[in-house]
Parts: sequence; C-alpha cells; structure tokens
Amino acid sequence: MHDQWASLINSKVNGANATVNSAEVGDSSISVEASKIKEVCQALKDNSFNVLQVITGTDYVDENPHIEVSYILADFINNHEVILKANLPRENPELDSVVELWKSANFLERECFDMLGVVFKDHPDHRRILCPQDWEGFPLRKDYVAAKEYNGMEVYPEDKLNLEDQGFGVKTSANSISNKSPMNNGRYS
Amino acid sequence: MDNQIIINEDIESPTDPEFERLKTELLTINMGPQHPATHGVLRVEIQTDSEIVVKATPHLGYLHRCFEKHAESVDYRGVIPFVDRMDYLAAMNMELGYSIAVEKMLGTEVPIRAEYIRIICSELQRIASHLMYFGTYAIDLGAFTPFLYAFQEREFILRIFEEISGARLLYNYFWIGGVWNDMTSDQLKRISGFVDRMEGELDKYHNLVGLNKIFIERTANVGVIDEETAYSYGATGPVLRGSGIDWDLRKKRPYSIYDKFDFDVIVGEGTQGKLGDCWDRYYVRMMEMKESIKIIRQALEGIEEGPVMGKVPKIIKLPKGEIYLRTECPRGELGYHIISDGGKTPYRLKVKSSCFTHVSMLPDLAPGQMIADFVATIGSIDIVLGEVDR
Repeated sequence: MHDQWASLINSKVNGANATVNSAEVGDSSISVEASKIKEVCQALKDNSFNVLQVITGTDYVDENPHIEVSYILADFINNHEVILKANLPRENPELDSVVELWKSANFLERECFDMLGVVFKDHPDHRRILCPQDWEGFPLRKDYVAAKEYNGMEVYPEDKLNLEDQGFGVKTSANSISNKSPMNNGRYS
Repeated sequence: MDNQIIINEDIESPTDPEFERLKTELLTINMGPQHPATHGVLRVEIQTDSEIVVKATPHLGYLHRCFEKHAESVDYRGVIPFVDRMDYLAAMNMELGYSIAVEKMLGTEVPIRAEYIRIICSELQRIASHLMYFGTYAIDLGAFTPFLYAFQEREFILRIFEEISGARLLYNYFWIGGVWNDMTSDQLKRISGFVDRMEGELDKYHNLVGLNKIFIERTANVGVIDEETAYSYGATGPVLRGSGIDWDLRKKRPYSIYDKFDFDVIVGEGTQGKLGDCWDRYYVRMMEMKESIKIIRQALEGIEEGPVMGKVPKIIKLPKGEIYLRTECPRGELGYHIISDGGKTPYRLKVKSSCFTHVSMLPDLAPGQMIADFVATIGSIDIVLGEVDR
C-alpha cells in the first residue's frame, strides 16, 4: 500500500520526492520533502485520508542532527493509516501549517512547536500550549536542560532532592539511567 | 455590576434616558481552572454577551508533567506506571495500548488466559469510566442523585481491581507479556454476578436520567457536532459515534482478542434532537456499557486455565524502528507512537490523546451557546485533563 501512496504523491506533487521506508518490524513510513508537506497532505486528503491523528517530532542529535516531524493520517472510510515524515534542520525548523486542511492541526501544531520548537507558517494562533508562555527552551529536544530558576523560584532545590530515589534501586547515584533523567537538570552527570 | 448589563440592539430602547447611558461591552470570564464543570484543571476563557458565549479559548497545561520526556529516561517496563497517570479514570485501557504496542515490536506471545483477563479488566474499566461520566454529567446539569448511584456501582469495580492489583486507580497491572497477577475463580464469579446486576441497573439509570424531560431539554440540540466537524477535528470514540459514524477500533482494527467477541457498535441516531448533540453522546455511552457487559459475559465463558505471563526477556530492548498503535479507550482512540533506536529505553514515545483533540473543538462549539449549555457541552465530550496535558 505504501508504494501505491508514494507514487500517488509523486504523481500529484512536483518535487515531493516521496520514498518509502519499509520496516520489517513495526510500521513503514513515507518520507517527503519538508517544503511540500502541505501539498502532500492535500493530495492524501483528496485520496480519502480524512483524519489527521498526530503531528509529532523527534529530535536526532547524533551523526546527522535533524528534527523529524511525523504526520500520522488515518482513513476512516477504507481503514488505512500512514506515517508521513519530513526532515528539518535543528536550527530554525519551519513547516507550512495544515490548519486549512484539518482543524485538528491547530492544537497539534501548537504542541509540536511547544515541545520541539518547530515553527508552523500561517498558523492562526501560534503560541505555546502546554508550557507557560514565558517558558524557555523546548522540553522534548534531546539537549534540553531545565532552567535552574523559573520566575524567581528555584527548580529542584538540591537540599530537597532525594538522590537515592532517582537511581531506581541502584545504590550508586551515578548510574546510566538517572543521568539521563530530566530531574537531574544535568547537574549530577 | 452595572457595566455587565448589555443592550441588545434588536430590542427597542426603552424611553428612559437613564438606560441609554448604560455601558455595553463583552464580559470576559475565566471558567476554571478550579471550576467543577471543567472536570479537572482546564481553564476556559469565555467572552460573554450577557448569557451568550461569544468566544471560548481553552488554556491547557495545568497538569502538564511532560510524561513523554520522563519516558525517555526509564526502561520499557518503567513506562507503564506513567501511562496510568494519563487517563486516571481508565488506567487499564491506557496500559493495554502500551503493552500491545511493545509486545508487537518484541514479537511476544501473550498467553490466552492473560488476554481474557485483559479484556475483562478493560471492559470493566470502560464501565467504571462511563459511570463516572454519567454521574458527573448529571451533576453538571444540576441533578445530584445519579452521581450516588453511579459511584455505588463503580465502587464494586474498583474493589475488584484493588484485589487483583493492589491499587484503586493506578494499577500497573498489565505488564509487557501478560498480566501481573492471576484472577481467582471467586473473583470471576463475583464479576459475573456484578454484570448480571449491572444490566438491570443500567436500564434504571437510563429511565431515571436519559428519558427525563428536564435532561432531554438540557441536552437535545445542544453542542451539535456534525460529521464533517467530527472528521476535521479528528474526533474519535463516543464523540465520533455520537455523530452517527459507525467507527469502533475493536471492530474495525481488532487488537488483543476482540475479534472473538460478538457485540454491536452503538451510534447516535438523533432520537431526541439533531444528530450529534449532547444527548446522542450520552446515549452512546450508556448503551456501550451494555455492550461491554456482553463482552465480559462472553469472556467469562471463554476464559481458560493457564499461565498469565508470556516469555519476555529480562532486559527489554526493542528492535530499531517505530510503531503506531491505536486502541479504543472509553474516551476515544489512544495511539502510542514508539520510536526505538535499539536501546533499552524508548528513544521517543508520543501519545495521541483523544481528549486533547476533543478540547480543540470547544472554540468551534461555544459561540452562540448559553453559558449553561456550554457547561453541558464540555461535560458531554467527557475529557480527563490528565490525558489532555499528559
């Protein structure tokens, strides 16, 4: 099915460059050119993908740093679903908003901006949604470090942290899992 | 308080010159974050023209814990207690979706007895969750007694869950590969007795509340969601079915062993007013409880003896790749998008929450409604803020 949709996208949208990432375990997905995402969504919507389920992003920091935004579309008439992927640079990631196509994109795009800092052009109400408006940084980026202070309040004061709790039963406080925990603020690594 | 009075231009001005000098302006009110009608910590900023809502803006995030970030730092088993805390009224269903997603990636076989126990628990949880909706919705509309009825029956379900898992709300009972603990035959017998009683009770509730004249007046033709709006906002679950769309993942994309059971999908029919109004959504949920009872009965008949935990490696490492798996929860579809880089913690875990998309409908539904009707609309989409904010 994915091959069929990929060729449909390529035939309808010039330069969409749709390629199928077929997976042996789990789900396959289709990668498209980030600048053409709106046209691609329009083409799929015309092909009865009537529901936008998720817009989500993943931050990759190793070898090839990029942000991968996934659009998961569902077809409630023929019972299909497809994962669309668009790769963006980590600095100033920008995409076209798809609010005109699906109204659910409004909140989903705001969430994606709030968590990963992806800017959606022509969004009618481009604000943070889950974090407060004056929050700094984008929590779901891999290099995110929580601010030590928020509005004059100290975040996780050291004397109130119970380090033993963070090791998940391992006695040394410096085990691999606890170092990655956002609770640490990167202070104890 | 004088400045709250607003002159409607359609009405002829009274001759009293005093009246002319009254200020007219829209009044902005904050509904919440501690308003009982918002079912948690949702703040809706509404602009009102006397009793009519002109604009509503939901403000989310009061319960935001960024569970997705925490999930990146714990192993796959450790995520389950976190998913419990999303929709705390339907924790079993939250666990079910996550367990199935991880098992699919791992290729784990779940023993048949565990599958049956999962079905029984999920459907009991669905009844408990809908009972909560039924009770609190009646309170939203000014009727207190149904709440007591609903909680009396819900208590039985919570007691059973407490016996099998040790907790009343946040269970951590479905584990990857099966369930944590077996159910005894005595517990199964008591569940069987409960569903027999519950069936009669449901008829009683429906006659008491659903067919009550006042209830119908308050809910029929209120908060109408038509088919196009429902699709455009990505509505799922009872909200989508209330708009007359026959869509239930348990039938359309069966997961676990739902394909073994015989049950109907309830859709709204516009019996009391327009299709897709608050009454239709109420009706869908009430009748869905009966279908859950049907499923539980069949599961109790079909359950076999055997182990309840499959073979799972000690350290769970998912193969590199991703999976998106949706399940039908009491409030709508819940989707888990797990991206694995081959390590022992999820690289990225995204949850598609149905409540989140349902909240985004409110600005569209509110304009033109009375404030009291807006309360009825919020109640009818049945949100849990733990799942909205995650």
